[in-house]
Amino acid sequence: MAGPNRSDDLFDSILMADDRFRGEGYMEGFEEGERIGIIEGRCHGAVHGGKVASEVAFYYGFAFTWKCLLQNSTDVKAGKRLKTLETLIGMIQSFSHSDPASTTLQDDLDKVRSKFRQVCSLFSIPADFRQCFEHSGVSF
Amino acid sequence: MKDSLKLLTRFSAHPDSRCWFVAWNPNGTLLASCGGDRAVRVWGREGDSWVCKSVLSEGHQRTVRKVAWSPCGNYLASASFDATTCIWKKQQDTFECVTTLEGHENEVKCVSWAPSGNLLATCSRDKSVWVWEVDEEDEYECVSVVNSHTQDVKHVIWHPNQELLASCSYDNTVKIYKEDDDDWICLDTLEGHESTVWSVDFDKSGQRLASCSDDKTVKIWREYLPGNEQGVVCKGSDPCWKSICTLSGFHTRTIYDISWCHLTNVIATACGDDAIRVFEEDAASDPHQPIFRLMAHVPKAHSQDVNCAAWNPKEGGLLASCSDDGEIGIWLYEPQN
Repeated sequence: MAGPNRSDDLFDSILMADDRFRGEGYMEGFEEGERIGIIEGRCHGAVHGGKVASEVAFYYGFAFTWKCLLQNSTDVKAGKRLKTLETLIGMIQSFSHSDPASTTLQDDLDKVRSKFRQVCSLFSIPADFRQCFEHSGVSF
Repeated sequence: MKDSLKLLTRFSAHPDSRCWFVAWNPNGTLLASCGGDRAVRVWGREGDSWVCKSVLSEGHQRTVRKVAWSPCGNYLASASFDATTCIWKKQQDTFECVTTLEGHENEVKCVSWAPSGNLLATCSRDKSVWVWEVDEEDEYECVSVVNSHTQDVKHVIWHPNQELLASCSYDNTVKIYKEDDDDWICLDTLEGHESTVWSVDFDKSGQRLASCSDDKTVKIWREYLPGNEQGVVCKGSDPCWKSICTLSGFHTRTIYDISWCHLTNVIATACGDDAIRVFEEDAASDPHQPIFRLMAHVPKAHSQDVNCAAWNPKEGGLLASCSDDGEIGIWLYEPQN
């Protein structure tokens, strides 16, 4: 038989095993959860960031194309249309897309959407592009 | 008190349907109405009765919610739940649809012409307010889309002598807009109502605004310029609006419409309790804390919800109302002092 101290330790380790395993399990679970959480968060962020980016980039490409088409037009209406296009392009260029935590992100996005709707109205284009983008994950 | 608002005549305007709104033309001779039957009708007086002069039925696919006359009286705009706004040109007694304004995502709730006649505003359930510019060739171009409200926008109206626009919404607020660098921006948000604000109207000077709400109250707001003596704090160089009076305890249901007479300064309300009420300002009260008194109350003005009340712009005291029962009532208000 071991000395009284060793025997205490032995019983201790048996009696305390429950607590110890619980603690270790918690730590392991925590780390695993953290790892999965980061992956999920990253996916979620990427999907939503991608949606916003593809929406805004679509507006940008749309505006830029029309700007190129209208640049040399002599139509009296072209001036006002160009100006509105330039306002939209300016809004997109100054859009704070690199900061996902920006508090003005949603407001800025709403303003860009409103301006795009105005552009569509000026050009007599239906602003409902959902059908074109049904499979691309763009939701606007 | 009841007798001060007398019924002159009542007629069925949109049979088997709701009559949503009525609007007087600028010289007060014609009354346009719209309804759930997708039609706009124009009424004129012949002796003591009102006759339908024209029916504008081809323009819309769904309910026509509001109508508005241009300041020159030659055009009529109609806002519909089919997401479009039609512009009708008057030719003698007939009307021709000259333009259809598209762009709103869903139901257009209201349309209003600026006093200059060069600008038009529309609002919709899509939460946006659109400002359109009219050129000499009857062409309409959208100059701005403002997404300031967070819910369905119920009503828009222009300031009587400045290029300022007011709107009210299901988000319980009233907003005031001005032009700013080729765009329109919200310069003040009027908070105070506890439920949907259904309608707003300016007084003759445009310094005051009356709003009516689902919270069964009417609020009077006053414009204060920066640096005002009353110490009302404004943001920057823009004027701000402050609630100076609340009329509560008079209405028992939602108040759907309010009209501030520019000739007699009295206010009429159209209420979901089927009643029409008229309020008059106590001339001796403090202009910064005015007192309004109930001068007329017609409990069963219509057999169902009263949707609209509109003072004639030329004949003081002449009021038109319309209701879910499809009828129009023409009333005369005569103060009994």
